Amino acid sequence: MPHITTSALQRADGSATFTSNLYSILAGVNGPVEVQRRDELPEEAYIEVNIRPGSGVGTPRERYLESIVASVLRSVILVHLHPRMLIQVTLQVLQEPSEKLMKGKGEVAVLPSLLNAAFLALVDGGIPLETTMSAVLVAVDAAGGVVAEPSIKELLICQSVHALAYDLQGELVMDQSTGVFDMGIWEGVAEVASERCKAAVASTEDTDEMRDTDESGEPWLRTALEEKVRAANAWREQT
Amino acid sequence: MSTPILLPGTPISASLLPRPNKSGTLTLGPGLRHTPPQTITTTTLGTLSTEPRKSALWLEDLAGRYAPSVNDLVIAQIHHSSTDSYSCTLTPHTPFALLGQLSFEGASKKTRPQLKSGDLVYARVCQAGKGEDVEIECLNSATGKGEGMGPLKGGTTFDVSPGFARRLMLGRKKGGVMLLEGVGEKVKFEVAIGRNGVIWVDSGSVRITVGIGRLVQDCDRGGWTLEEQEKAVKKAIKDMS
Repeated sequence: MPHITTSALQRADGSATFTSNLYSILAGVNGPVEVQRRDELPEEAYIEVNIRPGSGVGTPRERYLESIVASVLRSVILVHLHPRMLIQVTLQVLQEPSEKLMKGKGEVAVLPSLLNAAFLALVDGGIPLETTMSAVLVAVDAAGGVVAEPSIKELLICQSVHALAYDLQGELVMDQSTGVFDMGIWEGVAEVASERCKAAVASTEDTDEMRDTDESGEPWLRTALEEKVRAANAWREQT
Repeated sequence: MSTPILLPGTPISASLLPRPNKSGTLTLGPGLRHTPPQTITTTTLGTLSTEPRKSALWLEDLAGRYAPSVNDLVIAQIHHSSTDSYSCTLTPHTPFALLGQLSFEGASKKTRPQLKSGDLVYARVCQAGKGEDVEIECLNSATGKGEGMGPLKGGTTFDVSPGFARRLMLGRKKGGVMLLEGVGEKVKFEVAIGRNGVIWVDSGSVRITVGIGRLVQDCDRGGWTLEEQEKAVKKAIKDMS
């Protein structure tokens, strides 16, 4: 279960940290703010994503990740509500595994954490959203076994890694894969991932009988968001 | 009964909707979106509130950037002056709000206040539509009276979250913040609260002004309960005197 804090930054409109078993990401959101003339879009908000690596300066790798994250966020944010405005998302990698992952694997592996952190920060910043989404990392080992939320050891020896994100209605909003796999394997991966994402936002009330095996994971996203609302509304109880 | 917490994108079931009024319409407030023909979904995280008499519903939403809406009282900072209006900042990095040179109590071409860049005004939002400039004014245009609005002289401002500013404006009973009333019993100061998350404090001494500002900011960040507030107020009064 990932560790989440919200409103970590004081001066950003919205912020969150998301720590999975592999990566720790700090996300900050500012928006809607004034956009630079060259980026201005006449009918929708422009979404700028900045990814800062754990050490050093951004490289084409970060630019590539930014383009993926921006396109996913564009489908989640109600961009048409803020034409000619900018929504700025900054993602700072705080922690990553010390073992170097192969090129390609490392990019796919970090994507779910980046997206989850960005989404939580958007919610914290009160940006109007189309839906709730969560992303999950899935690896397939040499024997064809599907592992969700793999450890770094499993990632190093796996055949393929897949980063998938689903929204509240169970629609696929992101699919990034790398490695050797065929369509059959991918379908198995998608099934596991959609179960995970569904479980992340599952209702916390009637889960006792549903969640007996605990195979599909805990409703971490709903729990985190509900806690946030309760903390923000605590003062109402006193008045 | 506790109201359910809704995630962004949740469709609102018909049983939660209030009865439409005589003309068969519902009024949607912030945080909700209507998709024709009759789907209503949430756009932010929060709890649903309804007002059956006005057949209105809205989402009690959390913080985020201040979005101007008509009749909000705000503290604006003058950025620059042009022939017929001042351009003011309500929140950083957003387009300027316009304040007419004559939108002050008793202002005429000859007797209008001369404001420099950086000056503060307490004003009311009078226009905040989609795709048009935000306009603010320092008088009630129906009566021509200032009603407490106008330039703020002296003092200093402190930033808090817009949600906390709203609580402060609700007062001690409804908002659950007793800091200002508590300190006010012992110390003399002036205060203005802007819905855009700006608080202006003025008192005779720097120590008191900064003390009050810090107290309010700490309460916003710490989410103090009433007991914690009372304790902090006692300590602050001791420090100030």
